[in-house]
Amino acid sequence: MHIFHIRYRNTQGTLMRILSAVSRRGIDLPYVQAEPTEHIHKVTLLMDANAKQVGQLCREWRGVVDVVDVRPGAPIKELWDHAHLDLPHPPDSVGAAENARSATA
Amino acid sequence: MRRGAQIVLDCLRAEGVDLAFGYPGGAIMPLYDALEGSGIRHVLTRHEQGAVFAAEGYARATGKVGVAIATSGPGATNLVTGIADAKMDSVPLVCITGQVRSPLIGTDAFQETDVFGMTLSLTKWNRLVRSTEEIPRVIAEAFHWARSGRPGPVMIDIPVDMMKASVEFTGSVHFTPRAPACGSGRVGSESTFATTLIALLQQAKKPVALVGAGAKLSGAVEDLQQTLDLLNIPAFATVHGLGAVRQDSPYYLGMVGMHGTRAANMALDETDLLLVFGARLDDRVTGEPTRFAPHAKIVHFEIDPMQLDRVRACELPVIGNLAKTIPAFFQEAQRAHLPDFSAWRAVASGAERAEPRKAGLAHPTKSFLEQLFARMPENGTVLADVGQHQMWAAQCFRASSPRGFITSGGLGAMGFALPAAVGVQLGRPNTTVLCVSGDGGFQMNIQELATVHRLELPIKMVIIDNKFLGMVRQWQELFFARNYAETDLSDNPDFVEIAKAYKISASLLKEEEFLDPAASANVARRLDRFLRSNQPELLVFECHPEANVYPMVPSGASLSEMVFEE
Repeated sequence: MHIFHIRYRNTQGTLMRILSAVSRRGIDLPYVQAEPTEHIHKVTLLMDANAKQVGQLCREWRGVVDVVDVRPGAPIKELWDHAHLDLPHPPDSVGAAENARSATA
Repeated sequence: MRRGAQIVLDCLRAEGVDLAFGYPGGAIMPLYDALEGSGIRHVLTRHEQGAVFAAEGYARATGKVGVAIATSGPGATNLVTGIADAKMDSVPLVCITGQVRSPLIGTDAFQETDVFGMTLSLTKWNRLVRSTEEIPRVIAEAFHWARSGRPGPVMIDIPVDMMKASVEFTGSVHFTPRAPACGSGRVGSESTFATTLIALLQQAKKPVALVGAGAKLSGAVEDLQQTLDLLNIPAFATVHGLGAVRQDSPYYLGMVGMHGTRAANMALDETDLLLVFGARLDDRVTGEPTRFAPHAKIVHFEIDPMQLDRVRACELPVIGNLAKTIPAFFQEAQRAHLPDFSAWRAVASGAERAEPRKAGLAHPTKSFLEQLFARMPENGTVLADVGQHQMWAAQCFRASSPRGFITSGGLGAMGFALPAAVGVQLGRPNTTVLCVSGDGGFQMNIQELATVHRLELPIKMVIIDNKFLGMVRQWQELFFARNYAETDLSDNPDFVEIAKAYKISASLLKEEEFLDPAASANVARRLDRFLRSNQPELLVFECHPEANVYPMVPSGASLSEMVFEE
């Protein structure tokens, strides 16, 4: 698991560009937290990515116009707890049959 | 007081825009209403994709920012392929779309799409305008990002009510970016990279230079040529780098990559020091990435840090505008004692590495293209669409004009060439523009014949007609046991008659006639007349349906595993 702290100016679409850099590679994001910090915002991302993807992501994030900096972080217990990594994805509670019932209701 | 639509046009003029391509519709009507007298010439294409490709062609040919305009909903979605194309090929482009009235946004209103969301990953920057007052700043920022660094597309979505509203307007604004966002992380120091590179060259036995579009986009072609002349090492170009190196340079080995020359690919496979000048090393250039330049240290001259280490970690990144970094290196290199690489160069360009004897089913088509290209003036521009004809054209292209060969390289968007040729011809009106398409791609934007006719653009259009989706068929032949699933176009329409319906002069040249020695003088006259005409002309060249593009590096193979025609 890798953790990244990305500081960015909270302009239109910047957070979405940060997130879509991850989603376009098919990487799950079990934990995301975005928060204002002083004049800029910070988003913390937890993900399972290989070394090549990490390199690509860091370069892509740094290329986003309003990203200020990208830093890897150390996992902390609170973050792991929030991530619910032991849960399957998608959640077991939502099965295909239930989806089908909802769709036809 | 000035209406938002007028402000948009005023700001475009302030950015130097005098030509825009587009297609009107409901949500963009205020902008069209304000066009007259704005100082901006608008070119009506017959499809929004035609507009965005034309804007791309204009930008690629002139180096200026291309502008494409469309309405909301389907108008906006029709721009998306062109935006993706511009992103891949580093084309400065500003797209402006109308959006539904701001109170209706998010209600799935008529012709509403989230084009802002859709283009987030395809643009360098985009904005949904939220007030008429912010239009000047948004437009200034859009042009800044389109032009700066590695150029690319930006998009501005403007709700129709904001174009109708009137506000105080004191003139366009200048955008100054805030403190630079991120560093590249691994930037070679400007003061030391030249010394390091010279040391690498002094240790190298088989150095080579790979030239990409960045050398042209940065205006560094002359500096690069001077540097290559000094180094005297084998050099080759990507499809977008074609024209950046003089074709008659003794060290030039041609195009590299999937359909590159044997000499270029072999040199790249053997090199121990690879100098990359403004190329992003995509998979069509590298072959199997894990086996790319296996013995080489890589020195990467690049403006965009994002392009570093994508395929292989480079030993020396040289980040910056090539128009600055190449001269900086040249100055140091002039003073240094560099090895004599002529023995290596002789091996790399030796007779045993020359292309196989011209033969096979593609020979007549390549010969036809060579004869056409040989008749082109030096400053002419060849556009190629996407497919087999594109690679044949790239292989046959011989001019040394930096903007002489234009194609959709990264995205590979069929239907690009014809509308892009409209933009090229308008951007360079005194240039001979030759547009080469396949029979599949030509039909993807065939409606732009109407634009060509309306503007009386003297574009020379060639269709290489093999009655197949040729490149897909080639792969089906080679890798799918000749299962030609859904690639047969044998029921193509009569292109000559279609062109005539658009009031464009057209004719057919069959391969047999082209090859007939008794007809050669007549064919030569036809080609001369075709290129010299001051009217738009279409020439359909019917070629063998099973002609293939060779050499070829199969997908997943290394560059040393090229396949040649048997």
